[in-house]
Amino acid sequence: MGAMLRVQSVSKRFGGLVVLRSVSFRVDEGTIVGLIGPNGSGKTTMFNIITGFHRPDAGAVEFAGRSVVGLAPFEIARAGIARTFQLVRPFAGLTTTDNVAAAVLYGRGVRHVHEARAEARHWLRYVGLEDAIDAPVGTLTLAGKKRLELARALAAGPRLLLLDEVFAGLNPAESEGAVALVRRIRDELRVTVLLVEHVMRVVMGLCDHVVVLGSGQVIAQGSPAAIQADPQVRRIYLGEGYGAAC
Amino acid sequence: MSRAAAAGLLAVLLVLPWAGAGEYPLALLYSTFMYATLAVAWNIIGGFAGYLSFGHAAFFGLGGYATGFLLVHAGLSPFLTAPVGGVVAAVFAALAGYPCLRLRGPYFAVVTMILGLAVRAVVLNLPWTGAAEGLWMTLPPWEPLAARRAFYYAMLAIALVTAWTGHAVRHGKMGVGLEAIREDEDAAQSIGVPAVRLKMSALTISAGLTGLAGGIYAYDRSYIHPDFMFDLHLSVLAVLMALLGGRRSWAGPILGAVVVRLVDEVLTVRVGTEVARIIFGLGLALVIVLLPEGLLPHLMRRRRAPRPPAAVPAAVVRS
Amino acid sequence: MLVQTLQALATGLLTGSVYALLGAGFSLIWGVAHVINVAHAALAVGAAYAVYALATRGVDPLASLAMVVPLFFLLGVGFHEAVIRPAARRAGDLVLVSMVLTFGLAAALENALAAVWGPGPRVVNVAYTGQAIRLGVLALPVPHVAGAGLAAVTITALYLFLHKTFPGKAVRAVWQNRDGAALCAVNLRQVTSLTYGLAIASAGVAGVALALIYSFSPATHLMWLVFVFLVVIVGGVGSLVGAVVAGMLVGALTNLATLVIPFAWAPFLLFASLGVLLLWRPTGLFRR
Repeated sequence: MGAMLRVQSVSKRFGGLVVLRSVSFRVDEGTIVGLIGPNGSGKTTMFNIITGFHRPDAGAVEFAGRSVVGLAPFEIARAGIARTFQLVRPFAGLTTTDNVAAAVLYGRGVRHVHEARAEARHWLRYVGLEDAIDAPVGTLTLAGKKRLELARALAAGPRLLLLDEVFAGLNPAESEGAVALVRRIRDELRVTVLLVEHVMRVVMGLCDHVVVLGSGQVIAQGSPAAIQADPQVRRIYLGEGYGAAC
Repeated sequence: MSRAAAAGLLAVLLVLPWAGAGEYPLALLYSTFMYATLAVAWNIIGGFAGYLSFGHAAFFGLGGYATGFLLVHAGLSPFLTAPVGGVVAAVFAALAGYPCLRLRGPYFAVVTMILGLAVRAVVLNLPWTGAAEGLWMTLPPWEPLAARRAFYYAMLAIALVTAWTGHAVRHGKMGVGLEAIREDEDAAQSIGVPAVRLKMSALTISAGLTGLAGGIYAYDRSYIHPDFMFDLHLSVLAVLMALLGGRRSWAGPILGAVVVRLVDEVLTVRVGTEVARIIFGLGLALVIVLLPEGLLPHLMRRRRAPRPPAAVPAAVVRS
Repeated sequence: MLVQTLQALATGLLTGSVYALLGAGFSLIWGVAHVINVAHAALAVGAAYAVYALATRGVDPLASLAMVVPLFFLLGVGFHEAVIRPAARRAGDLVLVSMVLTFGLAAALENALAAVWGPGPRVVNVAYTGQAIRLGVLALPVPHVAGAGLAAVTITALYLFLHKTFPGKAVRAVWQNRDGAALCAVNLRQVTSLTYGLAIASAGVAGVALALIYSFSPATHLMWLVFVFLVVIVGGVGSLVGAVVAGMLVGALTNLATLVIPFAWAPFLLFASLGVLLLWRPTGLFRR
């Protein structure tokens, strides 16, 4: 089991603002890795760099041993990296099925629309949206839209899945369901997961490995237990009293 | 429209010139076919992909000038060279379109409008195609009715090719990709949609079909000049017809074209060109505000029997 | 040769101030209301025709301001209330909808003007047409100076209003951050209506200046629209100062260019520069 994703000394600035400062970490194949940190620590920028929407000013990003810096976003998607967005971005004017079918057609490379739609319906069932097959996107709740985005990402056939604050805004029941789904994705589909999260309960329960970003730098990485105990992490992010109330 | 009805309509259209139709109805239908072509072609990039071009007249005029050039300098009939007109327009679209497609939303609309105006300004100064004097494309000494029939069939053929293309794009893989681009281009790219490639294809196809129509129109007009071959009004008309008829489907623009052509005919006869254009301008303003989806979806909704409430429950989450 | 160049530069700067005024009004609407008013130049041309109509009755263009300014202000406010607000309620993408909408209106206006006055060019002749002010080796045509002066005064008034008065600051607040301003209890509807009124009134003034300097026809608005886009794109949508600098630049460069290239190619050059600019820096050469 090697590294699915290797981020090496990646730096990024926007104008005068340094967002990422020589960040390095790896995501091993078949694991769920959490990327946490205060707001503004560069997590979403990191995602954008991995998926090709920004170019790093310095550093390397390797996916399955191959550099992805400089590739167009669609090439990276086809290479096997899929993502969801912090603020859901479904194709609002299309049906749920077509949302996912688009990923089947272009992410996996299927040729025929009816075949893609059949596969799309399978993915909708997989994420628990069997009651919303062929429905307009507007009929979904936020939780439903998040599942739709997940189905869409999975339908592209990724080996690495990036989840951006998927658990935000979910009630406890929805959250539990989502956690189970992410585990199934790792175990059944053998997809490696890198997730950005603020809901600590989820991160600590779900992740095999955690990377903590602070002010654009990696301030700690390790197992959830190690991270929870790390004094610097507690100071800048978790809060000194973390763990006591949970 | 059911398949049987469509087939029937097509049969009627094919037979009409030999069934005693006079010059006027043939000319009216000919121009309707042309408008339908313009609208459906525009919609491939404007409606499906959501990139509203305000410069499609450039492609139309280039098609016409291409056939004009070949007629005047090589003696070739536009009935043969119209495809060349289409190719010229398509190539131009590929070259000029590539940088334009990097812009989104209003910037794309603005730059295409400028493109249309610029092409007109350039052709107005080109010596090989008559510059400001225009270009004469004299018809051979055919009988008027025979000429009308020829143009009728030529434009019908072009309209059918365009309709077929519109349908193929809309219902095929490309259509899904273009719609994804329209809805959210970045999200589309994140699932593997090659946005630039698809947009370029859509624009090139759209331009080629438009140029094809222009190539035939020029011959019918017999005298071409940049002022009306690259008229901004034509670009606006393309937008109006597609918006009016309905952008989401491939056939909506045809409905828009028919409505616009009929209204145009009635108005021009009664109130003259300028007032007709005033009404068109106001019509465009009204349509975009009141009917953002266009006529066709409206009509389709009325036709269907009332449906039971959606089967989708409010919360769609399962563990 | 040097004199010719200086002359072209000077006249260019004068006409540039009118471009700046047009661009400023257009920027205001785009920045504050998120509407691309494609009809902006057409409205200016409309004002020019109004000046023409009054001039044929012996009214001096500068005097016709007394009618044009309030009328266009009301027109602007009315347009916002009666057309834009309902459109904004229904529209998903106001920017694009507004483009198409105002495009249609511009076309309607152009043809209305053509229906009344015909498609041919009109010229406004005043007592001082043909006279020039001597400034060293330069001869500045009086109508140009008048038009430029008008534009300069209006821009200054706009600037003072935006920076020194309370309503003006509210406008700038909305310009910079619509939601933020709303959270500070700025009445968005009133501010936007006010902005519209000012912007359209400024288009009217620009039209008066235009009438003093150039001949015009109903189709002139297309050329002027290109100037507007140039100014807004060079100067940025967020800045009055940017519009002024950009306007001067555009005016000067266009005039200088006509010394070198044949006049017939000038429109093409304009389009080409605008096209290149849009592709290179759609958001403007100036940062806000």
